[in-house]
Amino acid sequence: MRYSLMLCACLAASPAMAGIEEALTDHILPGFAGFSTAADALAVTAEADCSPDALRAPWNAAFDAWTEIGDVRMGPSETGALSVSFWPDARGFTPKTLRRLISSEEEVGTDPTAFADVSIAARGLFALEQMLYDADFDDYAPGSYACTLVQTATADLASQAQALEAGWRDGYSAVLRSAGAEGNSAFLSEQEAMTALYTQVLSSLEFTADSRLGRPLGTFERPRPTRAEAWRSGRSLRNVLLYAEAAEEMAMALSDGEMPQTEAAMQRLRDAAEKVSDPSLQDIEDPSARLRVEIVQQNVRALSGYIEQELGVPLGLTAGFNSQDGD
Amino acid sequence: MKFATSTALAMLLAAPAFSATDAAGAPDKASVLETYADIALAGYEDSLSTAKALQEAVEALIAEPSEETLAAAREAWLVSRNPYQQTEVFRFGNPIVDDWEGKVNAWPLDEGLIDYVSEEYEGPTDENEYAALNIIATPQATIAGQEVDASEITPELIADTLNEADGIETNVARGYHAIEFLLWGQDLNGTEPGAGERPYTDYATGDDCTGGNCDRRADYLKAATTLLVSDLEEMVAAWGADGEARGAVLEDENAGITAMLTGMGSLSYGEQAGERMRLGLMLNDPEEEHDCFSDNTHNSHFYDGKGIQNVYLGSYTRVDGSTVEGASLSELVAATDLALDDEMKTKLDTTMTALGAIKEAAEGGFAYDQMLAIGDEKGEELIMGGVNGLIDQTRTVERIVGALDLSGVAFEGSDSLDNPDAVFQ
Repeated sequence: MRYSLMLCACLAASPAMAGIEEALTDHILPGFAGFSTAADALAVTAEADCSPDALRAPWNAAFDAWTEIGDVRMGPSETGALSVSFWPDARGFTPKTLRRLISSEEEVGTDPTAFADVSIAARGLFALEQMLYDADFDDYAPGSYACTLVQTATADLASQAQALEAGWRDGYSAVLRSAGAEGNSAFLSEQEAMTALYTQVLSSLEFTADSRLGRPLGTFERPRPTRAEAWRSGRSLRNVLLYAEAAEEMAMALSDGEMPQTEAAMQRLRDAAEKVSDPSLQDIEDPSARLRVEIVQQNVRALSGYIEQELGVPLGLTAGFNSQDGD
Repeated sequence: MKFATSTALAMLLAAPAFSATDAAGAPDKASVLETYADIALAGYEDSLSTAKALQEAVEALIAEPSEETLAAAREAWLVSRNPYQQTEVFRFGNPIVDDWEGKVNAWPLDEGLIDYVSEEYEGPTDENEYAALNIIATPQATIAGQEVDASEITPELIADTLNEADGIETNVARGYHAIEFLLWGQDLNGTEPGAGERPYTDYATGDDCTGGNCDRRADYLKAATTLLVSDLEEMVAAWGADGEARGAVLEDENAGITAMLTGMGSLSYGEQAGERMRLGLMLNDPEEEHDCFSDNTHNSHFYDGKGIQNVYLGSYTRVDGSTVEGASLSELVAATDLALDDEMKTKLDTTMTALGAIKEAAEGGFAYDQMLAIGDEKGEELIMGGVNGLIDQTRTVERIVGALDLSGVAFEGSDSLDNPDAVFQ
């Protein structure tokens, strides 16, 4: 990987701007460590008992941990995040691929190492959600192929989490810390590294507003509840809040001042979320239920606006391109 | 002295030619934007002329279905793709283009909406009840509770009723990929080589007809091609001397230059590297190929990349071999930061080499489908070479945004990013 090649030149560099170091030590690195621990616990539980009943709690804990750093899409996560969290799945690749693996009992589903080559649609948190919560999949018996597949997918998730943690801790964090130092071709200045981190914060909130909430909201005439993220497990609203809290936390770490308006906006977002009637957003065909979700969406956008004002403007940061810029 | 006077005169006359350049040798922004608009116009004109050739070839196929007329229509489609792909860079950053683009190049599509598909095709999906509607075989249909009279397949039926039916984006009824499906059919070779194998008899009359409803299929193909031509005419007009898209770009110089850079960065990163190349690779799904029916994906990616390079260098080679060129973004950057201009040019070259390697491998018999296969390391290396090049060049586009004084302008893409005040209203 490209960034590991730069490592030696970077280590000697002077300490980075406060915000970069704090984003790493206070947020990103503990976030990846936490996800790795949670994913490992899920795999260990699955090894002993593959049943949905046993796995739902540790799966949820792993998903909670993921939301801390799941929207950071740079360095090892640039590509690595996609196989942990493949969503949205507009063409139904996840059920299609799982069905194919199960019906033909493909050997790759029994081997955690080989599983790394499988389509990302059958890997990670969302494939597991389908196995643990979807009526078409969740009635598998102990010892069945599907049971082994779940064990394989959890083991694969644990090794992905470990690789991401190591990639950040032992490699990419040094690239960020040495921004502007000679030999660092990724970040020619500290400002570039700050901009890259700032872009992650705003992209996350944009994705939450436009996709996590915008996809199910659809249009007033035609809402699309089953396009909500993780609706099967009832996590849709929880994810919105957790991802927003993670974005806010990272913004605070990057900032060298207080961010009172941002904090207030986050509180308003929590308050708005509390009024939502169905945490899986499945009742949004009802106009008043829909309105409550729209208010959450507005509050996510407002939070983003205050972060721009309290972090972007004072530090002269403008968000760069993000991976959602396509269509 | 006579010659001195004439030299002075010559210099005076020549002065306007130099007015586009300031003392440091930098072109002014207006000239750079003129070149940009000229390249857009030429690209859409070339797309239009090759689409008209496609229309003729389609009419010949329908009039006299044969191996030869089908092959000629497919060839005409392939030729028409290359100039069009080079215009994709104009999409992002230019709302007029972006709002229109879905009519001609929407993808991916649930092709079962249009015509027959194999038995392995997933029928109606969670997201799309009409993924297997097959309008060619269904003169009377019900879509989202509405009775639809499809007894005659017309451009209006396709444009107003079928396309994005039920508000679903994958109900793509018009544009290049709908036509591609009608010419090639589904590619049933999975991650093996080979494109779709629709027989010419799908357009035959009487007992020779295969696939059923050949006359309706011919009507569909004809109507979709007619729409493509009229859609492209619209975009040629938009970039003409008094066109709306040209006017929008020239109206505010900093906004115009930002639109150029936004197009380069958004196409490079989110769209091409992310959505089209890396995601397809990671899903190992040949349907995630951009030009999946015709197996033309290697060219599609190559000319997308080429379009990005054209915009930066201010030069486009037309289908007739002539060149449209002028004051360039490259020169503008070089006048501010020579090293940054070099960096951009080098990265664009690196990307084009990587995309060229994919094209060359595909033309040498290693089809793009095969590159997507599970565990195919050579394919992964080729595709990720393109992806990495595109991501890397995006970082330099960001540096250029910072280096040029484009203050007060933000990127397209998000209400909050475009207009921070909007969220407080």
